[in-house]
Amino acid sequence: MKNLICSSVIMLATTAPAQNGAIRYTEFDLENGLHVILHEDRSTPIVCVSVMYHVGSKNEDPTRRGFAHFFEHLLFEGSANIGRGEFSKHVEKAGGVLNANTTADRTYYFEVLPSNQLELGLWLESERMLHAKVDQKGVDTQREVVKEERRQRYENQPYGSILIDVLDRAYTVHPYRWPTIGFMEDLNAASESDYQAFYKGYYVPNNAVLVVAGDIDPTRARELVSRYFKDIPRGADVTQPVVEEPPMHGEKRDIVHDRIQLPAVVLAYRIPPTGSADFYAVDLVNRLLSTGNSSRLSTALKDQQQKAIATGAFSLPFEQGGLAIMYAIANAGVEAGALEQAMLAEVSRIQNEGVPKEEFAKLMAQLEMENVQDRARIAGIASDLARCHMLLGDTRLVNTEIDRYLALTPEDLKRAASTYFTGNRVVLHYLPMSQKQP
Amino acid sequence: MSTSQTNSRRLASLKGICAATGLFLPFLMNAQIDRTLPPVPAPAPIVNIGEHKTFTLPNGLRVIVVENHKLPMVGVQLRFDIPPMSQGNQVGFVEMMGDLLTHGAGNRSKAQIDQDVDRLGAQLSANSEGVYASVLKKHLEALLPIMADVATAPTFPSDELAKAKKRTLSEVQQRKDDPSAIGEAVGRSVTYGRSHPYGEVATERSIAQVNEQQLKAYHAKFFRPEKGYLVFVGDITEKEAKALAKARFGDWKPAQKYTVVDEDGKQTIEGIGEVRFLEKPAIPRGPRRVIIVDRPGAAQSVIRVGFPLNLQPKDVRALSAQVMNTILGGGVFNAQLMQNLREDKGWTYGSHATLDADRFNGHFHTSANVRTAVTDSAIAETIKEIERMRTTRVSPEELDLAKRFMAGSFARSLEDPRTIARFALNTYLNELPKDHYATYLKRLEAVTAEDVQAAAEAFLHPDNAVILVVGDKRKLLHRLEPLSWATNPVVTELDHNGEFFVEQFEPVRDRTAQQVLDAHIAAIGGREAIGRIKDMRMQLSTEMKDMPLEIVQWYGPDGLFRSTVKSNGSVMREEAYDGQRAMRSDSQGVVELEDADLGDLQFNGHPVPEVRYGPNVERMVLAGRTTVDGKPVYKVHIVLATGGSAGDYFEISSGLKLRRVEQRSVDGRAVTIITDYSDYQPAGGVLFPRMITQTGGPAGELVMKVEAIDLNTGLKPAFFATNLPERKVEEYIEPEEENPLEPTPDGVKDE
Repeated sequence: MKNLICSSVIMLATTAPAQNGAIRYTEFDLENGLHVILHEDRSTPIVCVSVMYHVGSKNEDPTRRGFAHFFEHLLFEGSANIGRGEFSKHVEKAGGVLNANTTADRTYYFEVLPSNQLELGLWLESERMLHAKVDQKGVDTQREVVKEERRQRYENQPYGSILIDVLDRAYTVHPYRWPTIGFMEDLNAASESDYQAFYKGYYVPNNAVLVVAGDIDPTRARELVSRYFKDIPRGADVTQPVVEEPPMHGEKRDIVHDRIQLPAVVLAYRIPPTGSADFYAVDLVNRLLSTGNSSRLSTALKDQQQKAIATGAFSLPFEQGGLAIMYAIANAGVEAGALEQAMLAEVSRIQNEGVPKEEFAKLMAQLEMENVQDRARIAGIASDLARCHMLLGDTRLVNTEIDRYLALTPEDLKRAASTYFTGNRVVLHYLPMSQKQP
Repeated sequence: MSTSQTNSRRLASLKGICAATGLFLPFLMNAQIDRTLPPVPAPAPIVNIGEHKTFTLPNGLRVIVVENHKLPMVGVQLRFDIPPMSQGNQVGFVEMMGDLLTHGAGNRSKAQIDQDVDRLGAQLSANSEGVYASVLKKHLEALLPIMADVATAPTFPSDELAKAKKRTLSEVQQRKDDPSAIGEAVGRSVTYGRSHPYGEVATERSIAQVNEQQLKAYHAKFFRPEKGYLVFVGDITEKEAKALAKARFGDWKPAQKYTVVDEDGKQTIEGIGEVRFLEKPAIPRGPRRVIIVDRPGAAQSVIRVGFPLNLQPKDVRALSAQVMNTILGGGVFNAQLMQNLREDKGWTYGSHATLDADRFNGHFHTSANVRTAVTDSAIAETIKEIERMRTTRVSPEELDLAKRFMAGSFARSLEDPRTIARFALNTYLNELPKDHYATYLKRLEAVTAEDVQAAAEAFLHPDNAVILVVGDKRKLLHRLEPLSWATNPVVTELDHNGEFFVEQFEPVRDRTAQQVLDAHIAAIGGREAIGRIKDMRMQLSTEMKDMPLEIVQWYGPDGLFRSTVKSNGSVMREEAYDGQRAMRSDSQGVVELEDADLGDLQFNGHPVPEVRYGPNVERMVLAGRTTVDGKPVYKVHIVLATGGSAGDYFEISSGLKLRRVEQRSVDGRAVTIITDYSDYQPAGGVLFPRMITQTGGPAGELVMKVEAIDLNTGLKPAFFATNLPERKVEEYIEPEEENPLEPTPDGVKDE
């Protein structure tokens, strides 16, 4: 009863965030180096507890490609206090959901729970950070599960190998050259010492950011965070690999025969690191090409020329320089060559003619809308807070990153298109198997 | 169970500490945490379901408003209550009508609509049931006229229809190589049936039938105010919504009277023709059966086990059915299918169950992508789990987890104000009690293990399940046959459109079947070299269910034949043909082989049966050009004198035979046997395959390696004696008529 009174008194002290206002948060470091971000939003009685570790596939040994993602699977297996299979049970029994994902740069774990279960989320994530445990059955099973994940998402899917094929040709020395899902033979080769080294080296508080967002009292949350995380020992300093990828000289062109009916064309260009000034300009070029039905690729390739049934352009926002990837899937009877020409013509048009004011205003209106939509879910806000802190180096960007887009001019787009969408690129034609010459 | 006991113990001690200190925060700072147990939750928060307001315009359009000012955004949808109908031979026109709503409306072209929507930073989409939009509050007034035009005044320009048909044809074509899309489309089709509104699949043929008239007629008939719901969600008041609804939709009148459908579900709609509405929901029936869509060389099989259900959202059992489905395979990671197939076996990235309560016709299906080698095991385990739900009461722990998870999901879903609107819309469309969602958590809490089992008994029908596999037929067929209770055929092969599979051939006009056969005979050494083989002994080795087998076959003059199958030196099976009669001897005893079995031995009783196709083959047809494992081949369809039939695949470049496909009857069940030949090497100047792989027979997959070939050792006729007892030789036996319903392997029918 006392408990109930205590917490309800605390609840009164909160206010709802002002509409359209900034995302308010507090942040601090524990002594062990764990960075903590708290965000209060009482509109729904749920809480998101998440941890982002600054480790991804770019930290992998080249003979253990896919290890970071595989390891993510293993970290659901349990801890010194949580038996195999119990981790998810604790969450689901509490009415929550959990998941994780891995990219080239970071690994992200999260639970969304009813807000009275905040402490459970902290206990689980602190157990994962303090003394995760995996038995042989877990290792063997998850290795097979990851193989099936690879088959499902990359191998048994038309055009499923695009990302793998592009990365392999866009980079020559950087670990970005292999995909996060990795390769089966490398996962087969992984042994106990790999697990130990990875956990000890990267899963340390000084390499992580903890975000607690939602229906919380920040003061109480701060105390609870401290209780659960302060005794986790700091690890050795983590150094991120710094690999100097030489510039692409010219074009890498290839044909990939796939189990597909319609040809596809993929173009990829190297772009500057996520968060850098030009990254936003390049990203806006991608948006110009692909966001909305009136986008350049959709209008020209699908509506006017009827050369494609699907088009897209997006940025891979890597820390050490990612890619702009453009793709189109051909309408029946359209050759890959003609499709490529049509895509390149759209790039040239930006480079030569720039972007009319009205169209530029459209891009800004779309950004404004997206910025609002991104705030609809507490889990989305939590991951954005973690991203801004860890990959952009400044949590404040959760509110101000949009300004970097809004500050751009039509001239910036033209310049970015000319600077980065050059002849130094990867060009892949995906053709049906039946077109393969014996 | 143990966890909740420990929790309550700890809760008691916590209360003690809290009372003693009288303050919450100091306690936190001083306390040592016990890591060995999960923390005790604080008191559960109260879940508030937001409210909706509703009013009806004079033209019958019902407006629903959910006010939520957290974000400066408004969602709008205009949704129509339309009964599902069969589209017959023009399947796809209803979906295309939905797609084309945004491709010209009022006096705007598609390009203008796209530009006007994007300029506002808004999103606008449409389908055959309505129109949906999201927009910043400040642009709402500007967006609504576009949305109103799209919903009430689409123009269906003919050039846009032509483009859409072309695009849709490409998409249908693309499905051929998209296992998940095949699983979805064919899955619906085999669950509900091909002529059911939910089971129809658009094909190249049906898309070609779509015309402007149908689209216009459908829109005029079903997009009408008195069947519509206009929903506003977000940063808007009831007053604002009322003004906007009146201004944009107040004058909207339906084009024609809404007529009631006849008793038999048929109705003639001008511009469309006769249509059939769903008369009665499909229900689970027929024996458990297996459907395969072939994906040669696929890395995984897509598997779905399902059946239709007569389960409506307003059914009082719908909630316990959802709890049951959650425990079996819905949503939670701790569901039985996920735990069994993924966490225990490592066979899949995920396995799920879906139980869909639908006001017209619900359904159930499980789905998983599994590697080829475990396909049959994964299906067997899936059915086992479904059966277990029916026969075994779920544990209190499982029930508790599912209920708490569902309660949590309910609370989480309320984060999105559109949920409230969805609740309101569902309440109207599905005729739910007014307090359906208000009482949801209470009703959920009351679901018992008995209710769950009762729901499993009512809504899980493993005996009537349709098992769909999208995967490598050659590797799977024999493994799938035991899972099917159907007999004719045991496993049905469909194509990517859910139609009966018909092998596709490019026509060949520059040669005949006989010429293809002659080229094959020439390629392996020629008739002369083959003619020099008077007798032959061929020794093969293989493994059957991990048991090594030695097979020896003797071919004598004039088609005499004998074979033995040995395991560890002892003969398990023996066959002989003495030129008149044939026998088989195995653990069951000795039997005389007659009819088709005799025909088989007569047909195959030669080292190179192809040279004797003349007398043994009734008819030979060059079906055309196709591929086997990516290699271009000719297929020759042969009908044996004894009535059986087979398909032979000859590689175009080499002339070698790569495959034979036959349909045989095993214990009264029609099964397909596929034999692949490779590694051709010469013996006596004639090329023989040294690797023979056979699937589809009762033995499963047999990989046979030719160990030795001995030619012309002087085998005598006595060696082929059958030693069968004398019997009266009958004058003439009429060959049995082939069952006309039984499909031949490639759709070519016997005369």
